[in-house]
Amino acid sequence: MSTYTDKIRETAQRLLKECKVEMVIGFRKGSQPMMNEPCVVRSPEEVDQLIWDSNCGINLANYLTNRKEKIGIVAKGCDSRNIVTHIVENKIAREQLVIIGVPCLGMIDKRKIAAAADGEILSVTEADGQVMVKTAQATQTFAKSDVLQGNCSVCTHRNPVIHDEMIAEPVPEQTDVDPYADVAEIDAMTPEQRHAFFEELLAPCIRCYACRNACPLCYCPTCFVDESKPQWVGKGQDPADVRTFHFLRAYHCAGRCTDCGACQRACPVGINMRLLTKKLNKDCLELYGWEAGLSTETRPALDDYQPNDPENFIH
Amino acid sequence: MKNLLEHMGMEPDRLHFSWISSAESTKFVAVVNQITAKVKALGPNQRFVKKAAKVA
Amino acid sequence: MKVIKIEKSQWSQGLDNLRDAFRLFGPVIEKGFYDYRELAAGQAPDLSFQNTRLSPKSLVFPQSETMLNYSLDPADPERNIMKEAPKDYAPRAVIGLRPCDAKAMVLVKMNFDTEEYQDPYWLNLYNATTFVGLACDAPCGTCFCTSAGCGPYHEEGLDVLLTDRDDHYLAKALTDKGAQLLEKAGWTQAADADTIIEKAKQAAEAKVTSKIETDGLRAADTMALYNAGFWDDVAFACINCGTCTFSCPTCWCFDIQDEAYRTKGVRMRNWDSCMFPIFTVHTTGHNPRDTKTQRVRQRFMHKLKYFVDKYDQGIMCVGCGRCVRQCPVNIDIRKVSALMNALSVQARCAV
Repeated sequence: MSTYTDKIRETAQRLLKECKVEMVIGFRKGSQPMMNEPCVVRSPEEVDQLIWDSNCGINLANYLTNRKEKIGIVAKGCDSRNIVTHIVENKIAREQLVIIGVPCLGMIDKRKIAAAADGEILSVTEADGQVMVKTAQATQTFAKSDVLQGNCSVCTHRNPVIHDEMIAEPVPEQTDVDPYADVAEIDAMTPEQRHAFFEELLAPCIRCYACRNACPLCYCPTCFVDESKPQWVGKGQDPADVRTFHFLRAYHCAGRCTDCGACQRACPVGINMRLLTKKLNKDCLELYGWEAGLSTETRPALDDYQPNDPENFIH
Repeated sequence: MKNLLEHMGMEPDRLHFSWISSAESTKFVAVVNQITAKVKALGPNQRFVKKAAKVA
Repeated sequence: MKVIKIEKSQWSQGLDNLRDAFRLFGPVIEKGFYDYRELAAGQAPDLSFQNTRLSPKSLVFPQSETMLNYSLDPADPERNIMKEAPKDYAPRAVIGLRPCDAKAMVLVKMNFDTEEYQDPYWLNLYNATTFVGLACDAPCGTCFCTSAGCGPYHEEGLDVLLTDRDDHYLAKALTDKGAQLLEKAGWTQAADADTIIEKAKQAAEAKVTSKIETDGLRAADTMALYNAGFWDDVAFACINCGTCTFSCPTCWCFDIQDEAYRTKGVRMRNWDSCMFPIFTVHTTGHNPRDTKTQRVRQRFMHKLKYFVDKYDQGIMCVGCGRCVRQCPVNIDIRKVSALMNALSVQARCAV
């Protein structure tokens, strides 16, 4: 991965030196194991901050919304799909961007590692598909494929779908994965079981809105939960309000979600709210053959009418 | 939307969508009758409903 | 105050003795994470935790809390009259609070209990509670309590401080409330263990290696900090979620809401966060803290400068490290404080 870092720095430096961009958005090393901080560099001297490893799970497209500058942005597969969505939704212009594509081999799940580690984690390093976790007691080694984020392990778009620079040769796409196995499990339940399942899933929610705010799709000037005239949803911890928030947040992502996993990654209490967005992704794929963010030329599923759209809802 | 509500545990017969032209009055009546029968069979809705704020 | 030795064999019996007089709360593990919960009959707190995921502030400051009730029923002669909501203020005890979180209660009290105003909801719960702390012998890598006016054996805000000595606890009664609790539990075996505790304290403090730099903040020029050039860089990654403020034991902001259903209404308060854009929106629609940088600056300036100046009691942070661990984009208060501190030192040197 360190070659990725070198190549990102080289590219960023060149783009800044040649005044192709005013700023480059990427990641810098975090202060915690398995954490990196999204950052912006504005001069060639600063590019040595930039790094790349398997802890760059935050979706950088989130930092583009309504920006006016010429921007270089480091983008893995899912980030690039959200950049496409941003372009389609007029949140940024293609001409403003120099997309530095990063073929991605998946991000590691800090919670999985924390749960598997024996004691507090002091450092995490990786090499050749192995993740080495150092705790006060021991050094443990995991296969990276076993500790990937849930969305990365079923990802079928690891390579950027749009880019101006590529920092490495494309990686092979995964073909033998079933992205919707977890959704199918829920579909097999009775309504009562499903209701109880989500009751339990959402119970720890503290309504910090990290899922919403980490999501590049959530850019409304005022979110419906923050509206007060009229007030659509209560602001307390009532389960009906918490459920309404999660339901509508997910629904607003219908046909737009790339399953980048930023929401789940950001959640301080570890809720897998992707089980909601993925249901919609699955429906979009099955009903409209639609996957979000693959092309700037086509209109999103919910923004487009086709004569063969399913209409079995009509009585 | 109906799919996601059902995914979260809403009963399939609770929410209905259809498309009826203003010229299809008999269809309108038939659909409304169908819906009322299905919803009545389910009884009052208990999900996504808040009768009083639950606070500490 | 005196030290009591509690054999672990007497531990659960003692807790059971307390249940007649107190509702007990303590850390329990749920789905792999520790949080404070009310303990059911026979349930012991799980004291093998490092620290809980969320702070125990919700024990005296629930995230969502009823203040007043009212009726909107036209037939009710008392309709439209706000009434005090009935609450259970019977004695409670929290078993296994970490010293940092106890110190945080003291800081929060400065806000809720002033000469001019006393917040009845917070104070009633606070006064009803006996805080039994558990000293930290294995602090986390993100703990920086010793440089935040606190420490792994810090006693402020606690009624009892427990020290785990393998087969027994040493319980130091710090207040009359604490002494009464120990007595009710039937833990009475006096121990002469001041030196043991002192030694354990020093050993634990030596393990807290992470630091926050704050020495120059008090003397620093407020406007120099406010106008510092680093805020845009600090704030860039921030997504303006409420994780830091909601997990923080010292953040106390709340928002008051009315909710009415048919003929009954409730006035409640909910945690609020200075990270949320609507936190400062005026009824005119004007928002004085309209940008992310302004909001991030507010959070750090409040904790590390305004609070310091207003109360002269150190920073509004106890070094628990929760915000550092849980921030989705790794914004680290230690780094920000170091930036602010370095600037204050520069500013002083220039004069």
